[in-house]
Order: sequence, then C-alpha cells, then structure tokens
Amino acid sequence: MTLKTIALNNLRRRKARMAFLVIGLLVGIATVVTLVSLTEALTMETEHKLDQFGANILITPRSDDLAISYGGITVGDVAMQYEPIREADLPLIRTIPERRNIAAVAPKVLGAVRVGEQRVVLMGVDREVEFALKRWWVIDGRPVAADDELVAGSEVAAALDLRMGQQLEINGRTFTLVGLLQPTGAQDDRMLIGSLGMAQQLLGKQDNISLVEVAALCADCPVEEIVEQIAQVLPYTRVIAMQQVVKSRMHALDQFRLLSLSVAGVVVFIGALVVFVTMMGSVNERTREIGIFRALGFRRGHVVGLILLEAFIVSLVAGILGYLSGIGATRALLPFLATEHPHFEWSALLMGGSILLAVAVGALASLYPALHASRMDPTEALRAL
Amino acid sequence: MPFIEITGLTKIYESDADRVEALRGVDLRVEEGAFLGVMGQSGSGKSTFLSILGGLAHPTAGKVSVDGIDLYALSGEKLADFRREYLGFVFQSFNLIPYLTALENVMLPLAVKKMPAAQKRAQALEVLERVGLGGRAAHLPSQLSGGEQERVAVARALVNRPPLLLADEPTGSLDTATSEEIMELLTRLNQEGQTIVMVTHNEENRRYFHRMVQLRDGLVVADESLRRVATSSAA
Repeated sequence: MTLKTIALNNLRRRKARMAFLVIGLLVGIATVVTLVSLTEALTMETEHKLDQFGANILITPRSDDLAISYGGITVGDVAMQYEPIREADLPLIRTIPERRNIAAVAPKVLGAVRVGEQRVVLMGVDREVEFALKRWWVIDGRPVAADDELVAGSEVAAALDLRMGQQLEINGRTFTLVGLLQPTGAQDDRMLIGSLGMAQQLLGKQDNISLVEVAALCADCPVEEIVEQIAQVLPYTRVIAMQQVVKSRMHALDQFRLLSLSVAGVVVFIGALVVFVTMMGSVNERTREIGIFRALGFRRGHVVGLILLEAFIVSLVAGILGYLSGIGATRALLPFLATEHPHFEWSALLMGGSILLAVAVGALASLYPALHASRMDPTEALRAL
Repeated sequence: MPFIEITGLTKIYESDADRVEALRGVDLRVEEGAFLGVMGQSGSGKSTFLSILGGLAHPTAGKVSVDGIDLYALSGEKLADFRREYLGFVFQSFNLIPYLTALENVMLPLAVKKMPAAQKRAQALEVLERVGLGGRAAHLPSQLSGGEQERVAVARALVNRPPLLLADEPTGSLDTATSEEIMELLTRLNQEGQTIVMVTHNEENRRYFHRMVQLRDGLVVADESLRRVATSSAA
C-alpha cells in the first residue's frame, strides 16, 4: 500500500470522471500532434515539390541595362543588347561538382512575333523538360508534342480570340493550337509556347538560349554553392537563386505553423481548464476522504503528492492516447492535404514532447486543487470529530 | 509523569456574530493504560476536546502533552507525523475509504511509511485477525456490515501500534448487540495495554471505563474513577 495504490484505486472507482479528464486533455494533445505533424508533412511536401519540380535557379545573360520582365529578360520592342547563352554550353551545367543535386535544366528562347496584326511573345521550350517542370500549369488540351504545335497563355488567347485546334500563321509557318493555358498569374499568360528548335529558327536565334531555369534539389542541398559552381562554368551569364519563391512558400508554411500553434495553444488551454475544474470538483467531493488522510497522519505534502499522482496518471494516459489519436488524424487527413507526396515521418521528439506536454499541463492544472486539498482543515473536512 | 497531561485547555469559536466557548479551562491527567470515557450532552465540548487531543484542532489557550510531547509546539507537518506515530482514530461513522478493501483501509496509515510492502500487509492482516476479520480482508466496505466496518476502523486505528487510541462515539451508529461487541473489543485491547480515550453520550458504555469524565458547557463537571487500571503496559 502506497500513495500509488490509493491513486489507482480512486481512478478505477471514478471511471467516468477519469474518462472525462482524459478526453479533455486528449483532445488538446491530439490537436497539437495533428497540427504539428500536418505542418511538418506539408513542409516536406513543399520541399519535395521544390526539389522535384520547381525551378529555383535562373541563368540569364549578363546585362547591366536590361529592364527585367521575365527572369531578367525584357522582350518586345526593346532591343536586347547582351551576349546570349550558347546552347552548346548547357551540358556544362551537368559537369559541376554538385551535379547530382540538379534535377532539371530547362532552356528557353524568347522573342516577339506577329500573329495577324498583334505582336506577341513566343517562348520556345524543351518540351519534355518544361511541361514536367511546370507542374502547376493547367492546360486545356495537351502540351506541345511537335514542332508545328503551340500552347497559348490565357491573356494571349483572350486578346487573339484563340480557340483550340485553330491554325495560326507566324512568319509564314502554320501552327496548330493544341492547348490553352489556364491563368497562372505569371508572364506565361502573355506568351505563345512552342518547341525550342522551332522558336530558335523562327526568331533567328539558332544555337542561342535566352534563359535557363534549373531545378536543384534544395531541401538539404547548398543552393548558393550550386549557383556559384554554375557561374564558374558559364562565366558570361548571371546565375541567381530564386530564393524568393522558396522563401515565400516557406513563409506561408511558417504562417500556417504559427496559426496551428495558436489553435493548438487555445485547445490545450481549454484542456487545462477542463483538468482544473474536474480536479477541483474531485477535491471538493473528496473533502471527507482528505480529512481522513490528514487525521491518519498524512502530511500536506502527501495529500499534494496523491492529487498530483492521480493527475500524472490521467495526463500520461491522455498524452499517449492523444499522441496516437493525433497521428491517426494526421494519417487520415494527409492524403487530402498533401496530394503529391503524402509522406508521414514518425518523430520520437513529437511523441515525447506531446506526452510531456500532457503531463505538464495536467500537473500545472492540478497544482492549485492539490494545494487547496492539502490546506483543508482536517476537523472541518471530517466534521465528525 | 502522566501519559496525557492537559492544562487550562480553552477553545473559543468566534465568528462575526457568534462567540462560542467550547472548552473553558479543562485540566486533566490520564495515566498510561487507562480507558477513559468522556461523556456529555451534545454541545458539551467533548468532540472539540477529542479534536484537540488528537492534534486536529489548535486550542485557543492551554497545553496538551502526550507522552511528554507538547502537541501544539509541533509544526503542522510534525503534528501530522505525531498523529501517524502516536495516535489511532476510530470515527463515529467509520470513515472507511469506499474504494479500498478492508485490508487496504487498514493499511492506509502505513501508505506513507517507508517499510516493505510485505511487512505492511502482514501487519495489517495481523490486526484484522485481532479484530476477528481475517476472512474479510478482500471485501469492500460496502460488502461489510456496520459492526464489521467499525472493526475495520478499529483495526486501522491499531495498525501503526499507536500508544493512544482515540474513539469518537464508536458505537453511535450501531445496534445494541454490535455496540457491545465493539465495546468488548475495545476493552480487550485495553486489557492488552492499549490506552484509550473514548467520547460517548451513551450511559450504557460507562461500565467499560476505568474512569469517566463528564463535560458540560466546556467544563469538567464530574471525574469518576470506576475501575483500577491494570499495570500491564504492552501498548
């Protein structure tokens, strides 16, 4: 017979109260675990997308006086006075020491063409690479599969009143419109997109490239080093890391994380209130019992210890069940939120942290009720002597 | 030196509207091995007297010493230790913990003592045997009769082998036959050397006491010696 025996027996007798306590705390812990693990999974998903599909390094011709419009290139009527990137130099990118971290190299050639009375921008792309890289492009129709095919950006399509399957005459060549790009909010909306070789010919830029987008695996790789190494093999170009893209996505996730933590904090606080009110009710209900303990020689510290021990047991159970529930909820929700890469990673830190949090919240919320119990006047408590 | 020495014991309950003098300068000396009955009508101060003697309520004035220990010179936690080591309480309404078995209830005072679990169990079983409930150890209080519950309460009071047993109306909620059983049990314990102070208003019980003190309005109005105290001191 120890304080533990008394605590366990009391909890066994008051099953409904214990269940209420456990649920109150469990909901809070499960919410924390769900939000934290979902945020982690979504961060991983974003990193994965950036790694696999998103370009995060841009190679443009070195120029001091160009206005920037698309990746440092202004097109249209402005004369572009710069040394273009030589297509033959592109394989050099795959020779840098960090080459294993390079997922894709997507060259482009840009120039103005006339379609009827309108002047529009034509972008020639490596068909295989570009459409795989731009996973966020939604095309009504299909991507370009041949040299005589084009995809039109939404603004170009609206301005020229283009329809799927329509034939377009550009510099004496006939093209078929095989796809309409849904609005992206980027410069792509104002372009006609076709094959790289065809565009080079049409624009008179054979063997030249206007800019190159490079996708580097950036979750745990040194992007800055890759940038430096590419600049070394292509010294006449300007190589920049598109950190803003990464930063803005990470910022959005940070905001989500902050929101998650705030929501979790509120839920845990409510859980703590449930524990506090329930433990206070339990202590008041057990006034006589506490009086007996005190009359039999239990010190105040023993009474505090007994109440906190009960809170510890309940919180431990709530912490373990809360963690398991949170993981269950994460696994259930993840496929809906992370469609590309719904990967869940087991974390000992999250498990330990959530159980510790439950125990700490349970103990803190029970501290006042425990002290209140220990301060009870045994005579008053007993009302018998 | 007397085992219990009470001098000028005064207890006044004060509130905004009321001032009640529950005890008004009680002096008493009790020798070791005695079976003292404290009698009186409701409101005479006998429960307050037992609370103060049991280290549960501080007196307004006066001194209480048990076995040479000045109770109210002790700090709160030391007083709790004193209750655990020196006193056994038997309450009127048994005050058993409903979710603990008879054996666990008896072991309750040992819960905060550092001793092997097997020894706690053996000590509790032994005392349950002494009160005739060895076969009911695994029963919950709700599965025991009133008399059996009172016996468990007596066993719990004795498990720590305390020098002094305090009983508050231990037969108050029992029928006549069961009351007699309990009084005979207490008498037997007293004959084995246990010092007992018992509060009661039941005149029937006076035949069991060595000595009877009558309280009225917080004062000792009668102090009768009824039997000689046995010389055995095997408390």
